[in-house]
Amino acid sequence: MADDFPDMPENGTRLRLARDVLDSQMVDREHRQSGKVDGIVAELRDDGRLVITAVENGLPEAVSRVSPRVGDWIAALGRRWGVRKGEVYRIPFNKVRRTGIEVRIDVDAVATPLLDWEKWLNDHIVRHIPGARW
Amino acid sequence: MKPGKLLQVALGVLTSIGGFLDVGAIATAADAGASFRFSLLWVVLIGTICVIFLVEMPGRLAAVSKHSYADAVRERFGFQFYIWPILAEFVVDFLVLGAEIGGVCIALQLLTGIAFHWWAIPVALAVWLTAWLGTFDFIENGVALLGLITLAFVAGAIVLHPPWGEVARGFVPAPAPHEPAHYWFTAVSIMGALISPYLLYFYSSGAIEDGWGKQDLTMNRLVAGVGMSFGSLVQMGVLVTAAMVLAPRGIGVDQYGQIALTLVGPFGKWGYYLFAVSLGITCFGACMEQALETGFIVSQALGWNWGQSKRPVDATRFTMAYTLSIAASTVLMVVGIDPLKLTLFSMALTAVMLPLVVTPLLVIMNDKHYLGEHTNGWVTNAVVGLIIGLTFVMAVVAIPLEYLGGG
Repeated sequence: MADDFPDMPENGTRLRLARDVLDSQMVDREHRQSGKVDGIVAELRDDGRLVITAVENGLPEAVSRVSPRVGDWIAALGRRWGVRKGEVYRIPFNKVRRTGIEVRIDVDAVATPLLDWEKWLNDHIVRHIPGARW
Repeated sequence: MKPGKLLQVALGVLTSIGGFLDVGAIATAADAGASFRFSLLWVVLIGTICVIFLVEMPGRLAAVSKHSYADAVRERFGFQFYIWPILAEFVVDFLVLGAEIGGVCIALQLLTGIAFHWWAIPVALAVWLTAWLGTFDFIENGVALLGLITLAFVAGAIVLHPPWGEVARGFVPAPAPHEPAHYWFTAVSIMGALISPYLLYFYSSGAIEDGWGKQDLTMNRLVAGVGMSFGSLVQMGVLVTAAMVLAPRGIGVDQYGQIALTLVGPFGKWGYYLFAVSLGITCFGACMEQALETGFIVSQALGWNWGQSKRPVDATRFTMAYTLSIAASTVLMVVGIDPLKLTLFSMALTAVMLPLVVTPLLVIMNDKHYLGEHTNGWVTNAVVGLIIGLTFVMAVVAIPLEYLGGG
Protein backbone atom coordinates (compact mmCIF):
# COMPACT_ATOMS: atom_id res chain seq x y z
CA MET A 1 0.00 0.00 0.00
CA ALA A 2 2.82 2.35 0.90
CA ASP A 3 4.11 1.96 -2.65
CA ASP A 4 0.97 3.71 -3.84
CA PHE A 5 2.17 6.87 -2.19
CA PRO A 6 4.67 9.31 -3.64
CA ASP A 7 8.17 9.78 -2.30
CA MET A 8 8.92 12.46 0.22
CA PRO A 9 7.99 15.84 -1.20
CA GLU A 10 10.81 17.72 -2.90
CA ASN A 11 12.13 20.99 -1.48
CA GLY A 12 9.47 23.61 -1.30
CA THR A 13 6.48 21.31 -1.31
CA ARG A 14 4.24 20.88 1.68
CA LEU A 15 4.87 18.12 4.20
CA ARG A 16 2.29 17.58 6.91
CA LEU A 17 4.59 16.36 9.64
CA ALA A 18 1.99 15.89 12.34
CA ARG A 19 -0.40 14.08 10.05
CA ASP A 20 1.83 12.12 7.71
CA VAL A 21 4.91 11.36 9.81
CA LEU A 22 4.19 11.57 13.55
CA ASP A 23 2.58 8.38 14.92
CA SER A 24 3.02 6.57 11.60
CA GLN A 25 4.05 2.95 11.41
CA MET A 26 7.76 2.56 10.65
CA VAL A 27 8.81 -0.25 8.36
CA ASP A 28 12.51 -1.03 7.93
CA ARG A 29 14.28 -1.91 4.69
CA GLU A 30 13.44 -5.60 5.22
CA HIS A 31 9.73 -4.70 5.65
CA ARG A 32 9.83 -5.41 9.39
CA GLN A 33 7.39 -3.53 11.58
CA SER A 34 9.79 -1.37 13.57
CA GLY A 35 7.66 0.73 15.89
CA LYS A 36 5.79 3.99 15.48
CA VAL A 37 7.19 7.48 15.00
CA ASP A 38 6.89 8.69 18.60
CA GLY A 39 8.53 12.07 18.11
CA ILE A 40 10.05 14.43 15.56
CA VAL A 41 13.31 16.29 16.15
CA ALA A 42 13.85 19.77 14.73
CA GLU A 43 16.87 22.04 15.02
CA LEU A 44 16.81 25.83 14.89
CA ARG A 45 19.81 26.78 12.77
CA ASP A 46 21.82 30.03 13.13
CA ASP A 47 20.27 31.44 9.99
CA GLY A 48 16.82 31.11 11.57
CA ARG A 49 15.76 28.08 9.56
CA LEU A 50 14.00 25.26 11.41
CA VAL A 51 15.32 21.98 10.07
CA ILE A 52 13.78 18.57 10.71
CA THR A 53 16.70 16.32 11.57
CA ALA A 54 15.31 13.03 12.86
CA VAL A 55 12.33 10.95 13.89
CA GLU A 56 12.28 9.28 17.29
CA ASN A 57 11.04 6.00 18.70
CA GLY A 58 10.65 5.15 22.37
CA LEU A 59 7.79 4.83 24.83
CA PRO A 60 9.05 7.64 27.11
CA GLU A 61 8.88 10.03 24.15
CA ALA A 62 5.33 9.00 23.20
CA VAL A 63 4.11 9.19 26.80
CA SER A 64 5.79 12.55 27.42
CA ARG A 65 3.51 13.99 24.73
CA VAL A 66 0.62 13.17 27.06
CA SER A 67 2.38 13.96 30.33
CA PRO A 68 6.08 14.95 30.47
CA ARG A 69 6.25 13.88 34.12
CA VAL A 70 4.92 10.36 33.44
CA GLY A 71 7.25 10.19 30.41
CA ASP A 72 10.18 10.97 32.75
CA TRP A 73 9.05 8.23 35.16
CA ILE A 74 8.92 5.70 32.36
CA ALA A 75 12.35 6.79 31.15
CA ALA A 76 13.70 6.40 34.71
CA LEU A 77 12.15 2.91 34.99
CA GLY A 78 13.63 2.09 31.60
CA ARG A 79 17.12 3.27 32.63
CA ARG A 80 16.98 1.01 35.69
CA TRP A 81 15.31 -2.13 34.33
CA GLY A 82 14.64 -1.68 30.62
CA VAL A 83 16.42 -3.51 27.83
CA ARG A 84 16.80 -0.24 25.93
CA LYS A 85 17.86 1.56 29.14
CA GLY A 86 15.13 4.14 28.60
CA GLU A 87 16.80 5.26 25.41
CA VAL A 88 14.79 7.07 22.76
CA TYR A 89 16.20 6.03 19.40
CA ARG A 90 16.67 8.63 16.67
CA ILE A 91 16.58 7.89 12.97
CA PRO A 92 18.10 10.65 10.80
CA PHE A 93 15.46 12.25 8.64
CA ASN A 94 17.44 11.55 5.49
CA LYS A 95 16.83 7.85 6.18
CA VAL A 96 13.07 8.39 6.14
CA ARG A 97 12.26 7.32 2.62
CA ARG A 98 8.55 7.46 2.02
CA THR A 99 5.50 8.81 3.69
CA GLY A 100 1.84 8.10 3.31
CA ILE A 101 0.16 5.86 5.82
CA GLU A 102 3.53 4.21 6.50
CA VAL A 103 7.05 5.53 6.94
CA ARG A 104 9.89 3.56 5.37
CA ILE A 105 13.14 3.88 7.26
CA ASP A 106 16.31 3.00 5.39
CA VAL A 107 17.87 1.04 8.24
CA ASP A 108 18.15 -2.59 9.28
CA ALA A 109 15.99 -2.57 12.43
CA VAL A 110 17.70 -5.68 13.84
CA ALA A 111 20.97 -3.76 14.02
CA THR A 112 19.36 -0.89 15.94
CA PRO A 113 17.72 -0.63 19.40
CA LEU A 114 14.31 -0.67 17.67
CA LEU A 115 14.00 -4.44 18.05
CA ASP A 116 15.98 -4.82 21.32
CA TRP A 117 12.93 -5.92 23.32
CA GLU A 118 11.88 -8.35 20.61
CA LYS A 119 15.35 -9.93 20.67
CA TRP A 120 15.66 -9.91 24.48
CA LEU A 121 12.30 -11.63 24.97
CA ASN A 122 13.26 -14.20 22.37
CA ASP A 123 16.68 -14.92 23.87
CA HIS A 124 15.57 -14.99 27.51
CA ILE A 125 12.02 -16.34 27.47
CA VAL A 126 10.14 -17.26 24.30
CA ARG A 127 12.55 -19.60 22.57
CA HIS A 128 12.96 -21.64 25.76
CA ILE A 129 9.25 -22.44 25.89
CA PRO A 130 8.34 -25.65 24.02
CA GLY A 131 6.35 -25.08 20.85
CA ALA A 132 7.68 -21.58 20.20
CA ARG A 133 8.99 -22.62 16.79
CA TRP A 134 6.11 -24.78 15.55
CA MET B 1 -19.38 -16.84 -6.43
CA LYS B 2 -16.69 -19.50 -6.76
CA PRO B 3 -16.94 -22.57 -4.43
CA GLY B 4 -13.68 -21.69 -2.65
CA LYS B 5 -14.91 -18.17 -2.00
CA LEU B 6 -18.27 -19.50 -0.85
CA LEU B 7 -16.56 -21.74 1.69
CA GLN B 8 -14.54 -18.76 2.90
CA VAL B 9 -17.73 -16.71 3.33
CA ALA B 10 -19.46 -19.61 5.09
CA LEU B 11 -16.55 -19.99 7.51
CA GLY B 12 -16.45 -16.24 8.03
CA VAL B 13 -20.16 -16.21 8.83
CA LEU B 14 -19.77 -19.10 11.26
CA THR B 15 -16.83 -17.36 12.92
CA SER B 16 -19.00 -14.32 13.41
CA ILE B 17 -21.43 -16.44 15.41
CA GLY B 18 -18.56 -17.55 17.62
CA GLY B 19 -17.25 -14.01 17.84
CA PHE B 20 -20.66 -12.54 18.45
CA LEU B 21 -21.75 -14.80 21.24
CA ASP B 22 -19.91 -14.71 24.51
CA VAL B 23 -20.57 -14.87 28.19
CA GLY B 24 -21.91 -11.31 28.16
CA ALA B 25 -24.35 -11.94 25.33
CA ILE B 26 -25.72 -15.07 27.03
CA ALA B 27 -25.96 -13.54 30.51
CA THR B 28 -27.60 -10.27 29.44
CA ALA B 29 -30.09 -11.98 27.11
CA ALA B 30 -31.02 -14.52 29.78
CA ASP B 31 -31.49 -11.73 32.32
CA ALA B 32 -33.66 -9.81 29.85
CA GLY B 33 -35.87 -12.82 29.07
CA ALA B 34 -36.20 -13.89 32.72
CA SER B 35 -37.10 -10.41 33.95
CA PHE B 36 -39.02 -8.85 31.06
CA ARG B 37 -40.03 -11.76 28.80
CA PHE B 38 -39.85 -10.67 25.15
CA SER B 39 -40.03 -6.91 25.68
CA LEU B 40 -36.27 -6.29 25.21
CA LEU B 41 -35.96 -8.11 21.88
CA TRP B 42 -35.96 -4.71 20.15
CA VAL B 43 -32.69 -3.85 21.91
CA VAL B 44 -31.07 -6.99 20.47
CA LEU B 45 -32.36 -5.98 17.02
CA ILE B 46 -31.03 -2.39 17.22
CA GLY B 47 -27.76 -3.64 18.67
CA THR B 48 -27.37 -6.11 15.81
CA ILE B 49 -27.90 -3.40 13.18
CA CYS B 50 -25.28 -1.25 14.95
CA VAL B 51 -22.84 -4.16 15.12
CA ILE B 52 -23.24 -4.96 11.41
CA PHE B 53 -22.19 -1.41 10.54
CA LEU B 54 -19.50 -1.30 13.20
CA VAL B 55 -17.70 -4.42 12.00
CA GLU B 56 -18.20 -3.85 8.26
CA MET B 57 -16.25 -0.58 8.49
CA PRO B 58 -13.07 -1.81 10.25
CA GLY B 59 -13.18 -4.84 7.91
CA ARG B 60 -13.30 -2.52 4.89
CA LEU B 61 -10.54 -0.35 6.38
CA ALA B 62 -8.29 -3.38 6.84
CA ALA B 63 -9.04 -4.85 3.41
CA VAL B 64 -8.28 -1.58 1.59
CA SER B 65 -5.45 -0.06 3.65
CA LYS B 66 -3.92 -3.17 5.28
CA HIS B 67 -4.01 -1.20 8.50
CA SER B 68 -6.08 -2.26 11.48
CA TYR B 69 -8.52 0.04 13.25
CA ALA B 70 -6.13 0.41 16.21
CA ASP B 71 -3.31 1.38 13.81
CA ALA B 72 -5.46 3.95 12.09
CA VAL B 73 -6.72 5.55 15.30
CA ARG B 74 -3.21 6.07 16.59
CA GLU B 75 -1.88 7.29 13.25
CA ARG B 76 -4.76 9.63 12.54
CA PHE B 77 -5.49 10.97 16.03
CA GLY B 78 -2.05 10.72 17.61
CA PHE B 79 -0.81 9.04 20.75
CA GLN B 80 -2.29 11.80 22.95
CA PHE B 81 -5.80 10.70 21.98
CA TYR B 82 -5.19 7.01 21.43
CA ILE B 83 -3.81 6.41 24.92
CA TRP B 84 -7.29 6.93 26.45
CA PRO B 85 -9.37 4.41 24.47
CA ILE B 86 -6.49 1.96 24.68
CA LEU B 87 -6.19 2.27 28.47
CA ALA B 88 -9.96 1.93 28.81
CA GLU B 89 -9.90 -1.10 26.53
CA PHE B 90 -7.12 -2.58 28.65
CA VAL B 91 -9.23 -2.36 31.79
CA VAL B 92 -12.31 -3.76 30.03
CA ASP B 93 -10.28 -6.54 28.37
CA PHE B 94 -8.83 -7.49 31.75
CA LEU B 95 -12.30 -7.78 33.29
CA VAL B 96 -14.03 -9.38 30.29
CA LEU B 97 -11.28 -11.96 29.80
CA GLY B 98 -11.66 -12.79 33.50
CA ALA B 99 -15.41 -13.16 32.97
CA GLU B 100 -14.92 -15.38 29.89
CA ILE B 101 -12.43 -17.61 31.75
CA GLY B 102 -15.06 -17.66 34.50
CA GLY B 103 -17.67 -18.76 31.96
CA VAL B 104 -15.59 -21.80 31.00
CA CYS B 105 -14.95 -22.55 34.68
CA ILE B 106 -18.68 -22.36 35.46
CA ALA B 107 -19.39 -24.73 32.55
CA LEU B 108 -16.91 -27.18 34.05
CA GLN B 109 -18.45 -26.68 37.50
CA LEU B 110 -21.88 -27.50 36.06
CA LEU B 111 -20.48 -30.67 34.46
CA THR B 112 -18.32 -31.90 37.34
CA GLY B 113 -19.60 -30.29 40.54
CA ILE B 114 -16.08 -29.00 41.33
CA ALA B 115 -16.17 -25.30 42.32
CA PHE B 116 -15.36 -22.93 39.48
CA HIS B 117 -12.31 -21.24 40.97
CA TRP B 118 -10.42 -24.57 40.99
CA TRP B 119 -10.77 -24.63 37.21
CA ALA B 120 -9.32 -21.16 36.62
CA ILE B 121 -5.67 -22.16 36.21
CA PRO B 122 -6.28 -25.28 34.05
CA VAL B 123 -8.63 -23.26 31.81
CA ALA B 124 -6.13 -20.40 31.52
CA LEU B 125 -3.39 -22.89 30.60
CA ALA B 126 -5.62 -24.45 27.92
CA VAL B 127 -6.41 -21.00 26.49
CA TRP B 128 -2.75 -20.02 26.48
CA LEU B 129 -1.62 -23.33 24.97
CA THR B 130 -4.16 -23.03 22.15
CA ALA B 131 -2.96 -19.47 21.44
CA TRP B 132 0.69 -20.53 21.66
CA LEU B 133 0.42 -23.49 19.32
CA GLY B 134 -2.54 -22.60 17.09
CA THR B 135 -2.53 -20.50 13.94
CA PHE B 136 -5.15 -17.81 13.43
CA ASP B 137 -7.02 -19.99 10.93
CA PHE B 138 -7.03 -22.95 13.31
CA ILE B 139 -8.44 -20.85 16.15
CA GLU B 140 -10.89 -18.99 13.93
CA ASN B 141 -12.30 -22.11 12.28
CA GLY B 142 -12.27 -24.13 15.49
CA VAL B 143 -14.29 -21.47 17.27
CA ALA B 144 -16.62 -21.30 14.26
CA LEU B 145 -17.40 -25.01 14.05
CA LEU B 146 -17.64 -25.70 17.78
CA GLY B 147 -19.76 -22.57 18.16
CA LEU B 148 -22.49 -24.22 16.10
CA ILE B 149 -23.60 -25.99 19.27
CA THR B 150 -25.08 -22.69 20.43
CA LEU B 151 -27.81 -23.16 17.82
CA ALA B 152 -29.29 -25.32 20.61
CA PHE B 153 -30.75 -22.06 21.97
CA VAL B 154 -32.57 -21.39 18.68
CA ALA B 155 -33.81 -25.00 18.58
CA GLY B 156 -34.88 -24.67 22.22
CA ALA B 157 -36.81 -21.49 21.50
CA ILE B 158 -38.70 -23.18 18.65
CA VAL B 159 -39.42 -26.39 20.62
CA LEU B 160 -40.98 -24.32 23.41
CA HIS B 161 -43.63 -22.88 21.02
CA PRO B 162 -43.48 -19.30 22.25
CA PRO B 163 -46.48 -17.02 21.59
CA TRP B 164 -45.12 -15.66 18.31
CA GLY B 165 -47.42 -12.62 18.35
CA GLU B 166 -45.97 -11.54 21.68
CA VAL B 167 -42.44 -12.30 20.43
CA ALA B 168 -43.09 -10.07 17.38
CA ARG B 169 -44.37 -7.26 19.62
CA GLY B 170 -41.07 -7.48 21.53
CA PHE B 171 -39.32 -6.06 18.48
CA VAL B 172 -41.22 -2.78 18.86
CA PRO B 173 -39.51 -0.40 21.29
CA ALA B 174 -41.67 0.09 24.36
CA PRO B 175 -41.35 1.61 27.83
CA ALA B 176 -40.55 -0.62 30.78
CA PRO B 177 -43.44 -2.86 31.85
CA HIS B 178 -42.12 -2.76 35.44
CA GLU B 179 -38.87 -1.97 37.32
CA PRO B 180 -37.79 0.76 34.86
CA ALA B 181 -34.24 1.09 36.27
CA HIS B 182 -33.61 -2.65 35.92
CA TYR B 183 -35.22 -2.61 32.44
CA TRP B 184 -32.99 0.14 31.13
CA PHE B 185 -29.90 -1.25 32.87
CA THR B 186 -30.54 -4.56 31.12
CA ALA B 187 -31.06 -2.73 27.80
CA VAL B 188 -27.73 -0.90 28.19
CA SER B 189 -25.99 -4.14 29.22
CA ILE B 190 -27.33 -5.94 26.13
CA MET B 191 -26.00 -3.12 23.96
CA GLY B 192 -22.69 -3.17 25.86
CA ALA B 193 -22.40 -6.91 25.25
CA LEU B 194 -23.28 -6.51 21.56
CA ILE B 195 -21.34 -3.39 20.61
CA SER B 196 -18.16 -4.63 22.12
CA PRO B 197 -15.13 -2.48 21.26
CA TYR B 198 -13.00 -5.58 21.06
CA LEU B 199 -15.03 -6.67 18.06
CA LEU B 200 -13.89 -3.59 16.07
CA TYR B 201 -10.24 -4.14 16.90
CA PHE B 202 -10.38 -7.91 16.54
CA TYR B 203 -12.32 -7.97 13.28
CA SER B 204 -9.93 -5.59 11.51
CA SER B 205 -6.91 -7.48 12.84
CA GLY B 206 -8.48 -10.74 11.68
CA ALA B 207 -9.02 -9.32 8.20
CA ILE B 208 -5.29 -8.54 8.03
CA GLU B 209 -4.39 -11.99 9.38
CA ASP B 210 -6.57 -13.50 6.64
CA GLY B 211 -4.85 -11.33 4.02
CA TRP B 212 -8.02 -9.59 2.84
CA GLY B 213 -7.71 -7.16 -0.06
CA LYS B 214 -10.06 -4.96 -2.06
CA GLN B 215 -11.39 -8.08 -3.82
CA ASP B 216 -12.79 -9.23 -0.47
CA LEU B 217 -15.05 -6.24 0.16
CA THR B 218 -18.19 -8.17 -0.85
CA MET B 219 -17.19 -10.99 1.45
CA ASN B 220 -16.64 -8.44 4.22
CA ARG B 221 -20.19 -7.13 3.75
CA LEU B 222 -21.64 -10.66 3.71
CA VAL B 223 -19.71 -11.80 6.77
CA ALA B 224 -20.65 -8.66 8.70
CA GLY B 225 -24.32 -8.74 7.67
CA VAL B 226 -25.17 -12.43 7.63
CA GLY B 227 -22.71 -13.49 10.33
CA MET B 228 -23.78 -10.89 12.86
CA SER B 229 -27.47 -11.58 12.11
CA PHE B 230 -26.88 -15.28 12.73
CA GLY B 231 -25.13 -14.52 16.02
CA SER B 232 -27.99 -12.27 16.96
CA LEU B 233 -30.47 -15.07 16.22
CA VAL B 234 -28.72 -17.24 18.80
CA GLN B 235 -28.85 -14.42 21.35
CA MET B 236 -32.56 -14.00 20.66
CA GLY B 237 -32.87 -17.76 21.20
CA VAL B 238 -31.34 -17.34 24.68
CA LEU B 239 -33.74 -14.49 25.45
CA VAL B 240 -36.83 -16.38 24.24
CA THR B 241 -35.96 -19.61 26.10
CA ALA B 242 -35.33 -17.57 29.27
CA ALA B 243 -38.69 -15.83 28.77
CA MET B 244 -40.47 -19.15 28.35
CA VAL B 245 -38.71 -21.15 31.08
CA LEU B 246 -37.48 -18.73 33.76
CA ALA B 247 -39.99 -15.84 33.68
CA PRO B 248 -43.18 -17.90 34.40
CA ARG B 249 -41.47 -19.54 37.39
CA GLY B 250 -40.23 -16.21 38.73
CA ILE B 251 -36.61 -17.35 38.47
CA GLY B 252 -34.19 -14.41 38.24
CA VAL B 253 -30.71 -14.70 36.80
CA ASP B 254 -28.39 -14.54 39.78
CA GLN B 255 -26.20 -17.51 38.87
CA TYR B 256 -25.24 -19.37 35.73
CA GLY B 257 -26.92 -22.51 37.09
CA GLN B 258 -30.23 -20.67 36.69
CA ILE B 259 -29.50 -19.85 33.05
CA ALA B 260 -28.86 -23.58 32.49
CA LEU B 261 -32.55 -24.15 33.18
CA THR B 262 -33.35 -22.36 29.89
CA LEU B 263 -32.34 -25.49 27.97
CA VAL B 264 -33.66 -27.92 30.59
CA GLY B 265 -37.15 -26.64 29.71
CA PRO B 266 -37.08 -27.81 26.08
CA PHE B 267 -34.58 -30.68 26.28
CA GLY B 268 -34.90 -32.15 29.79
CA LYS B 269 -31.76 -33.24 31.66
CA TRP B 270 -29.79 -33.30 28.40
CA GLY B 271 -30.53 -29.60 28.12
CA TYR B 272 -28.48 -29.05 31.28
CA TYR B 273 -25.43 -30.67 29.69
CA LEU B 274 -26.12 -28.94 26.38
CA PHE B 275 -26.12 -25.59 28.18
CA ALA B 276 -22.89 -26.36 30.01
CA VAL B 277 -21.13 -27.43 26.80
CA SER B 278 -22.50 -24.42 24.87
CA LEU B 279 -21.40 -22.04 27.61
CA GLY B 280 -17.98 -23.66 27.87
CA ILE B 281 -17.28 -23.65 24.13
CA THR B 282 -18.62 -20.16 23.57
CA CYS B 283 -16.61 -18.72 26.42
CA PHE B 284 -13.47 -20.63 25.43
CA GLY B 285 -13.74 -19.12 21.95
CA ALA B 286 -14.33 -15.69 23.45
CA CYS B 287 -11.30 -16.17 25.75
CA MET B 288 -9.13 -16.84 22.72
CA GLU B 289 -10.40 -13.79 20.89
CA GLN B 290 -10.21 -11.50 23.92
CA ALA B 291 -6.65 -12.57 24.77
CA LEU B 292 -5.45 -12.22 21.18
CA GLU B 293 -7.18 -8.85 20.91
CA THR B 294 -5.15 -7.56 23.86
CA GLY B 295 -2.02 -8.69 22.02
CA PHE B 296 -3.25 -7.03 18.83
CA ILE B 297 -4.03 -3.62 20.32
CA VAL B 298 -0.82 -3.34 22.33
CA SER B 299 1.31 -4.40 19.36
CA GLN B 300 -0.52 -2.15 16.94
CA ALA B 301 -0.41 0.80 19.35
CA LEU B 302 3.35 0.56 19.59
CA GLY B 303 4.05 -0.59 16.04
CA TRP B 304 5.38 -4.04 16.97
CA ASN B 305 5.52 -7.06 14.79
CA TRP B 306 2.27 -8.96 15.45
CA GLY B 307 0.19 -11.80 14.13
CA GLN B 308 -1.26 -15.05 15.38
CA SER B 309 -0.18 -16.65 12.11
CA LYS B 310 3.44 -16.00 13.09
CA ARG B 311 5.38 -18.40 15.29
CA PRO B 312 5.88 -17.14 18.87
CA VAL B 313 9.62 -16.66 18.19
CA ASP B 314 8.76 -14.37 15.28
CA ALA B 315 6.47 -12.04 17.25
CA THR B 316 7.74 -12.25 20.82
CA ARG B 317 6.30 -9.00 22.19
CA PHE B 318 2.87 -9.87 20.79
CA THR B 319 2.91 -13.37 22.32
CA MET B 320 4.13 -12.04 25.67
CA ALA B 321 1.35 -9.43 25.64
CA TYR B 322 -1.43 -12.01 25.34
CA THR B 323 0.37 -14.34 27.77
CA LEU B 324 0.47 -11.63 30.45
CA SER B 325 -3.12 -10.68 29.77
CA ILE B 326 -4.31 -14.28 30.28
CA ALA B 327 -2.26 -14.56 33.47
CA ALA B 328 -3.60 -11.28 34.90
CA SER B 329 -7.26 -12.04 34.17
CA THR B 330 -6.97 -15.54 35.60
CA VAL B 331 -6.24 -14.04 39.01
CA LEU B 332 -9.78 -12.60 39.05
CA MET B 333 -11.19 -16.13 38.92
CA VAL B 334 -8.62 -17.72 41.23
CA VAL B 335 -9.63 -15.34 44.00
CA GLY B 336 -13.24 -16.37 43.44
CA ILE B 337 -14.90 -13.22 42.02
CA ASP B 338 -18.42 -14.12 40.87
CA PRO B 339 -18.21 -14.50 37.06
CA LEU B 340 -21.82 -13.43 36.44
CA LYS B 341 -21.52 -10.22 38.48
CA LEU B 342 -18.19 -9.50 36.78
CA THR B 343 -19.81 -10.05 33.37
CA LEU B 344 -22.71 -7.68 34.00
CA PHE B 345 -20.41 -5.03 35.48
CA SER B 346 -18.00 -5.32 32.52
CA MET B 347 -20.88 -4.86 30.06
CA ALA B 348 -21.92 -1.61 31.76
CA LEU B 349 -18.30 -0.40 31.82
CA THR B 350 -18.01 -1.23 28.12
CA ALA B 351 -20.98 1.05 27.47
CA VAL B 352 -19.16 3.91 29.24
CA MET B 353 -16.08 3.69 27.02
CA LEU B 354 -17.91 3.13 23.72
CA PRO B 355 -17.93 6.77 22.50
CA LEU B 356 -14.12 6.89 22.75
CA VAL B 357 -13.86 3.82 20.54
CA VAL B 358 -16.62 4.47 18.05
CA THR B 359 -16.30 8.22 17.36
CA PRO B 360 -12.96 8.02 15.45
CA LEU B 361 -14.70 5.74 12.92
CA LEU B 362 -16.49 8.74 11.46
CA VAL B 363 -13.19 10.46 10.63
CA ILE B 364 -11.14 7.43 9.59
CA MET B 365 -13.82 5.92 7.36
CA ASN B 366 -13.97 9.19 5.41
CA ASP B 367 -10.20 9.50 4.98
CA LYS B 368 -9.15 8.91 1.38
CA HIS B 369 -5.57 8.30 2.56
CA TYR B 370 -6.77 5.02 4.02
CA LEU B 371 -9.77 4.13 1.94
CA GLY B 372 -9.32 5.77 -1.46
CA GLU B 373 -12.62 5.40 -3.29
CA HIS B 374 -14.05 3.11 -0.59
CA THR B 375 -14.85 5.82 1.96
CA ASN B 376 -18.26 5.84 3.66
CA GLY B 377 -21.35 6.94 1.76
CA TRP B 378 -23.80 9.35 3.38
CA VAL B 379 -26.13 6.57 4.57
CA THR B 380 -23.33 4.82 6.46
CA ASN B 381 -22.14 8.15 7.86
CA ALA B 382 -25.66 8.96 9.03
CA VAL B 383 -25.93 5.56 10.73
CA VAL B 384 -22.51 5.99 12.38
CA GLY B 385 -23.61 9.43 13.58
CA LEU B 386 -26.71 7.90 15.15
CA ILE B 387 -24.66 5.11 16.72
CA ILE B 388 -22.23 7.65 18.19
CA GLY B 389 -25.18 9.58 19.63
CA LEU B 390 -26.52 6.37 21.10
CA THR B 391 -23.16 5.46 22.63
CA PHE B 392 -22.95 8.88 24.31
CA VAL B 393 -26.38 8.40 25.87
CA MET B 394 -25.42 4.91 27.00
CA ALA B 395 -22.13 6.16 28.45
CA VAL B 396 -23.93 8.76 30.53
CA VAL B 397 -26.67 6.48 31.88
CA ALA B 398 -24.75 3.19 32.29
CA ILE B 399 -23.20 3.70 35.73
CA PRO B 400 -26.23 5.46 37.36
CA LEU B 401 -28.40 2.62 36.04
CA GLU B 402 -25.92 0.09 37.37
CA TYR B 403 -26.53 1.50 40.88
CA LEU B 404 -30.26 1.82 40.47
CA GLY B 405 -31.08 -1.32 38.57
CA GLY B 406 -28.01 -3.54 38.48
CA GLY B 407 -28.74 -5.39 41.68
